Parts: sequence; structure tokens; C-alpha cells
Amino acid sequence: MLFKCRNCGGNVVYEPGRRRMYCPHCEGEDSEDTIQGGSVTQCVNCGAPMETPAYASAGRCEHCGCYIVFNERVEGVYEPHLLLPFYINKDLAVGAMEAEFSKRVFTPSDFMSARSLEKMVGIYVPFWLYNYNARYDFAGEGTKIRSWTSGNTEYTETSYYEVVRRMELDFDRIPVDASYAMDDGIMDLMEPYSYRLLQDFEPKYMSGFYGEVYNQGAPELEGRAQVKARNASEELMQQSLSGYSTVRPYRKDLNLQRSGVKYALMPVWQYLYRYRGKTYQFHVNGQTGKVIGKTPVSIGKVFAYGASVFAIVTVICSFVVSVLEIL
Amino acid sequence: MKEYFRYFRWMYIILGTVVILYIFISVGHGVISGAANHQRTNTECTTDERVFDYGDVLTDEEEDSLRSLIAKREKQTGCDIVLITLKESLKDYAREIEPYVVYDEFVRIYAEEFYEEHNFGYDKPNGDGVLLVDNWFREDDGRIYTWFSTTGKVKEIYDAAEINHILDNVYRYVEHDPYRAYKTYVNDFYHDMMGTRLFTLYVPSWVPWVIGIISAVIFILCNVRSKRGRKTTTAATYVEGMEPEFKIRQDRFLRKSVVQRKIQTSSSSGGHSGGGGGGGGSHGGGGHSR
Repeated sequence: MLFKCRNCGGNVVYEPGRRRMYCPHCEGEDSEDTIQGGSVTQCVNCGAPMETPAYASAGRCEHCGCYIVFNERVEGVYEPHLLLPFYINKDLAVGAMEAEFSKRVFTPSDFMSARSLEKMVGIYVPFWLYNYNARYDFAGEGTKIRSWTSGNTEYTETSYYEVVRRMELDFDRIPVDASYAMDDGIMDLMEPYSYRLLQDFEPKYMSGFYGEVYNQGAPELEGRAQVKARNASEELMQQSLSGYSTVRPYRKDLNLQRSGVKYALMPVWQYLYRYRGKTYQFHVNGQTGKVIGKTPVSIGKVFAYGASVFAIVTVICSFVVSVLEIL
Repeated sequence: MKEYFRYFRWMYIILGTVVILYIFISVGHGVISGAANHQRTNTECTTDERVFDYGDVLTDEEEDSLRSLIAKREKQTGCDIVLITLKESLKDYAREIEPYVVYDEFVRIYAEEFYEEHNFGYDKPNGDGVLLVDNWFREDDGRIYTWFSTTGKVKEIYDAAEINHILDNVYRYVEHDPYRAYKTYVNDFYHDMMGTRLFTLYVPSWVPWVIGIISAVIFILCNVRSKRGRKTTTAATYVEGMEPEFKIRQDRFLRKSVVQRKIQTSSSSGGHSGGGGGGGGSHGGGGHSR
């Protein structure tokens, strides 16, 4: 599937800054015509063969440069229920990275260079969103301890309470990424997304970006969602017990009932930076601008900057001592 | 490089400021000391010589250079400045005067005897002045001893820490460049005497180096960390209404227990603080060995 400008024939893409379809060639807005056809192996625009990764649902033809959405990866069982369109464009994503990393002095000099950042791409990452109804029954014995001193005697009073809780909560769309290529820890750190802007899926939002179809089904990944729900339930229960010095549980019974699951695509800007034979991944939440990534350390810069601090501080201190000696 | 200078600009500004301050104070100090011209009033001194290189560690040119430097510094400070180098054992000499004197004080006895024997002192015999004895001979204990002897107003100014400081500076060069070491002695003495003495705290020469190393280590440790990112979700992020509903929330008091404990009061014992008194001799000073 391809989105072509009806005015100039150029490739129309979704422009996050404008919140609409945009033709970068003639600057037309919402001027797209949908061209069906093509496949993951052949460009619908120029007919050139395409080499696409295993789970790609959208990509770019290396020959004609058009962004293609692969029909067979966004239809039928692969059709996403929901999609969160990119909210920040590439410039804002780069700005977010600069703001995050500008103070990390030991990063290599070309880490944030314009040439390196050219390689940043927007990707729609597949997620499963799980809904749960949870009921947590808790019973235990809590203690409250207070101490005071009178004369030369210290008193410690321990009060015992029977503590009973029944907590009910509905989890709304706990996200779990369904992409092998994306590190689970990184995707968890990308959260939260604001679901307010979630929309029913429309392929046009994928034009201008890369995308993946889910790599694993909802049942296979449900374990991660349940862990998140259980941890959150436990934390909320512990918060309700915060007034006690100690709590000894008699009974803890957490029941999770899945009440729904949706397949959604979430926006992520990805920047891959190679340094000394290793690839460093950086991700920017395409909606909130949150930046995740571990920066490489340039040993040369560590030595140069460390030596500079040593030399400057030593010289300053020596001069200060000399001044004091003169005085 | 642009990035480097932008990052360190404040440190270089501070460095520049301190250097300018140093230059300004040095120049001011030079002007003040240049104007100082004390008149010598001691007429009983038995010699005009100030450099006694018995150890023969200096060349004739170096001796002459030190003599002219000392002559200038004596006028500026109002103190006799004497330098003696030796290469002989002082054991018999010192023990003849003080039978039980320890090795590191042989040079002290020599210095004090020499000062008094020649009636050194800028204002009067045995008056204001300083004398450095550097004996290059290794005594029986295998060490070389040096003594910095102070008399008159110099004795009032130099405490043990400052004597250590000036001898540390001498020892920094003495083995490989004795001339520089003795020149340092004369110039450091001049600076110590001419200073306004607003700050008398002795700062060992290694302190700036240690501060530099610690600063660099802290700087590297603070900046080398590279966290992936921080979690910004809470337990309630995906809970509808952002908070759970408690159908039952019951806290029923059961019982209470009280435990008493006697606080042990131990009789406190105070420490003794001691202080040493100084001797009442006419000379002060201190020594080092290497």
C-alpha cells in the first residue's frame, strides 16, 4: 500500500508536527490517494524487489525512497485494533536526545552529530494491551511501635492490630511489546503512553515510518502483563499498610481476571549508534519524547577531561597556596 | 576543541583570575619589599662572609651568586642569613658540648655555636638572623642531617610547621641541585619574613596535588555513569481512576504490650590533654634528615 499525492505524484507521509498527511514534494496537505498492491518483497511504486525484515509491516523502498505499508501485515489477523500516531517529529526527538545527553561529557564527539542523527528512524512497535479485573484479599497482623523515656527507663509499647483488606481494581491496557527486536526492558522504560490519543487503526499513519507486526501472540506474552499487574497490586496493597511498623500476613489472595486484550501500534524513534564495534540503541517515545539509552563512553575523553580537571584544579590550588604564602 | 573549551570555560576563568591575583600580589609584594632597606647596626660580627661551603657542594660562581642574593635579602628582611655546608661527622664535636645529644641534634649544636662564635645578628650580636647547616656527611646512623636555626625576631615568626615547610622545599632540590635548594632557602625565608602574615596556616606542598587527584576522580565517577533511563510509571498508572477501591478496610485493635528497659549510665572518664612548653634558649629552629 502506498500513499501518493494527487497533486504531484509524490509520496505522502504522516507529519506529526501537522497532525495530518503531508506531501514533502508539493507541500500539499491531506492530498493522498491510496495505491493498493505490492508485497513485502516488491515495491508497489517502482516494482523493485524489497528486502524486508521478517516482521516488517511498513518500510521504505531503497530504490525509489517511497514509504510502503505492507497490506498482508496490517490486514486480517494482523490488523491492529489501535494505533497511537507519532506526536513528535524527528526534530523534536533529536532535541529531546540533545537535552538528555548534552551533559554527558564522555560521549564520543560524533555521537550527537547531524550526520549520525540522520540515521534516526520512526518505528511503530507492536504492543498487546491487556485489561484485568483484580481482587486482592489480605489478612494479617500489624504492629505499631512507639518508644519513650522516663527517668532512666526506656519504654517500648507495641500495639497489635488485625488488618483486613479487600482491594478491587481494574487494570486498563497494560502494555507489553510484541517485538523480538526491541529490548523488553527498554520498552518497559518507554512507558507510559497517554492513551488519550489512541485511535482506531488506519494504515495512513504508518506512511513515513517503519513498522512491525506482532512477533508473538497475546497468550504467549500474557505472563509479562500479569507480572506487571501483580507487582502493581502488591505495591498498592503495601501502600494501604503504610501506617504499621511491621505487618505479618496470614492470607494473601490475588485474583486476576483478564477482561480484554487489544493489539496496538506505538510510536518509537530509534537511533542506532555504532562505536568501537558495538551498537548502542537509543529510543525516544514518539508521543512523550521520553529518552531511553545508555551512552557509550570514550576512553580518550575520560582521560583528556579527567587530566584537565586534575591539572586545572592542581594549578589553581597551587596558586592559591602561593598567594596565601605571600600574604 | 570548541566543545572542550566551552565545557571548561569556567574553570579556565577561575584559573586566570587566580593567576592574575597572584601576579598582582607578587608585584605589590615586590614593590613593598623593594622599598624596605634596613640598616645593619651590629658592628661586632667577626665576618662579612655568609656562605660557608665547607662541604664543597657549590661552584665558586654559585657561591658568589648566593652571596649577592643574601646581601640583598638581608637588607630587605633586616636579618643575617647564613649558609653552611659540611661533609664531616659532628658526633665528637657535639657530644663534647652536650654529652648525651642525639644524632639529629648534632647540627643544631654546630649551628648555634657557629652563630654565637661569629656574633651574627643584624641588629646586635646574637640578634636577628637565620642559619642553615646542611651536613652532607652520613652519620653512624646512615642519615644526613640539616638544621635551620632561628634567632631574634626570626624565632618569633617560625613555628615547627613553617620550619618543616622551608626544609621540605630545600630537600625538594638539594640532592640533584644544591644551588637551587639553597637559593630556595634564602628566597623562602625572605617571603616568610616579608609576608603580611595574614595566613599563617602551613599547607604542605602535596596538598594541591591530592586535591587535584580527588577532584579528577570525583569528576570522572560523576560523569562516567550512563544510566539507560528511569522508570516513570507508578503502581497506579494503569489502574482505572488511578486508585484502587477498597471494599474492606479494617484495622481492629487486638492488644498492647509494654517493655521497660533500664538505661545503663556509665561514669564517664575524661582524657588528659597535655601541652608542651618551649625551651628558653636564645635560638629556635628545627631539622630534617635524608
